[in-house]
Amino acid sequence: MTGFLKEVGGLTLFYGRVIRTLLTTSGNITPVFGQITQVYFRSLGTVIASGIFVGAILALQFNLVLSQYDAQTLLGGLTTSACVREVGPLIISFLLAGKIGAYTAAELGTMRVTEQVDAIECLGTDSVQYLILPRFLAIVSGSVLLLVVGLLVSTVGALAVAHWLCGINPLQYLVSIPRFAGPGVFFAGLFKSFVYGVIVAGVACYKGYTASGGARGVGRAVTQAAIYTNLLIVIANFVTSSFLDSLREILKSLSGVSG
Amino acid sequence: MSIRFEEVCKSFGPKTILNQVSFEVPKGEILFILGKSGVGKSVTLKHIVGMLKPQSGRVWVDGSDVGAQDAIGITAIRRKCGMVFQQPALLDSLTVLENVAFGLKTPQAKQVFGTLSESEIRKTVVEKLALVNLEDDILHRRPPEISYGMQKRVSLARTLAPGPQYLLFDEPTTGLDPITTNTVNDLIFDLSRKLQVTSIVVSHDMGCALKIADRILVLDQARVLSLASVEETRRSQVPLIRDFLRETLESENRGHA
Repeated sequence: MTGFLKEVGGLTLFYGRVIRTLLTTSGNITPVFGQITQVYFRSLGTVIASGIFVGAILALQFNLVLSQYDAQTLLGGLTTSACVREVGPLIISFLLAGKIGAYTAAELGTMRVTEQVDAIECLGTDSVQYLILPRFLAIVSGSVLLLVVGLLVSTVGALAVAHWLCGINPLQYLVSIPRFAGPGVFFAGLFKSFVYGVIVAGVACYKGYTASGGARGVGRAVTQAAIYTNLLIVIANFVTSSFLDSLREILKSLSGVSG
Repeated sequence: MSIRFEEVCKSFGPKTILNQVSFEVPKGEILFILGKSGVGKSVTLKHIVGMLKPQSGRVWVDGSDVGAQDAIGITAIRRKCGMVFQQPALLDSLTVLENVAFGLKTPQAKQVFGTLSESEIRKTVVEKLALVNLEDDILHRRPPEISYGMQKRVSLARTLAPGPQYLLFDEPTTGLDPITTNTVNDLIFDLSRKLQVTSIVVSHDMGCALKIADRILVLDQARVLSLASVEETRRSQVPLIRDFLRETLESENRGHA
């Protein structure tokens, strides 16, 4: 229990330090773009490959149910809505956690145990500003960017399956999308991606930055980063879904009152 | 102008690492800190640059209480103290040139040197590499592309670049072959004398300490066991110091024979 509370406290303080550094840092943002490029291109292939199949699977599954009720005209809207709101952000954040999160934790952990972080501090540079902030911002913005790519690709995958395997007219498929996936759904997807990105970035950077004990310590940090990230994403999924549902209800009642 | 420890105590969990440790290193001196593994030698160095804070007692650098400094004060103290780590600790993503220039591009360095042009930075880097007997043909190589001994020397050049007044060496010869060890030891001596900086060297190597130190401090069981000149240390009858000396003196005798 003490260990758990220590981790929660440490992670909270770490987020505080990153935000404080973000607010007080001025100047060169080139390293951030460098890191974004790395995150983006390192994950792009995986996101495209998985995006196509996620869209395809959802289209197949929804078609199974909708065909029983002769409601296949709704397939495009339902598939896109489910993908944007739930499956897309979850899958992309899990991918980021497994790939970029693990990479970041291992890289920072190695830098910590080989005294590179100490050396940076001793040379008068804030290691959070120099090492953490660019990676943190890159992972957060990368997860949102990759969601957009993943969704476009999953739509293509779903459309292909709907047309070739389910016999649905592509135009009919596309027309049904706005009925279920309006701006609110896209906002929900982007919001969730942002939250999950913050989790992946924070946990990976924190575990790497605080690693100790040589190669074993780095291995432990990477494993813990993967476990904590996935656990926190699932919890955050529940919290953000509840929050967004409540927000939607409030907005609906407000528009009802004003109307 | 000195580094002073005043009854410094430090524990990690139940383990006491430093217990009432006091000593002073005056300007220009080379002090060796010897002791068995885990006795608190590196911890002592980390207190000087504010990477660790004492539980009680004080560490003074040029009259500033390190433990009482805020982030700006700590940065100012770190500017005075160049630390060479046990491992080269070079940033793999940067070239040798960028690594050595790292300390010249910080806001604190800009306050001291002004904003240096790229050619001025390159000139300074080449000068510092020459001080550690390295040529400028490695400027654009990355650390994994040069030998471990060269990495150690690049690390030393990086520490020298911002012009520190104190040099802190944390087991600088760990993992090096005997020839490179001698080279690094000679460098420590030459640089300390040439640049007139105060040096504190954490080491296991009594032979090297006898060769280049002004004084030798031996830590044992979290306390200062001995702080004496090289000659006094040679004559010491303290069992631990005799153990450290035995092998060194035997190898010296073998050499004479």
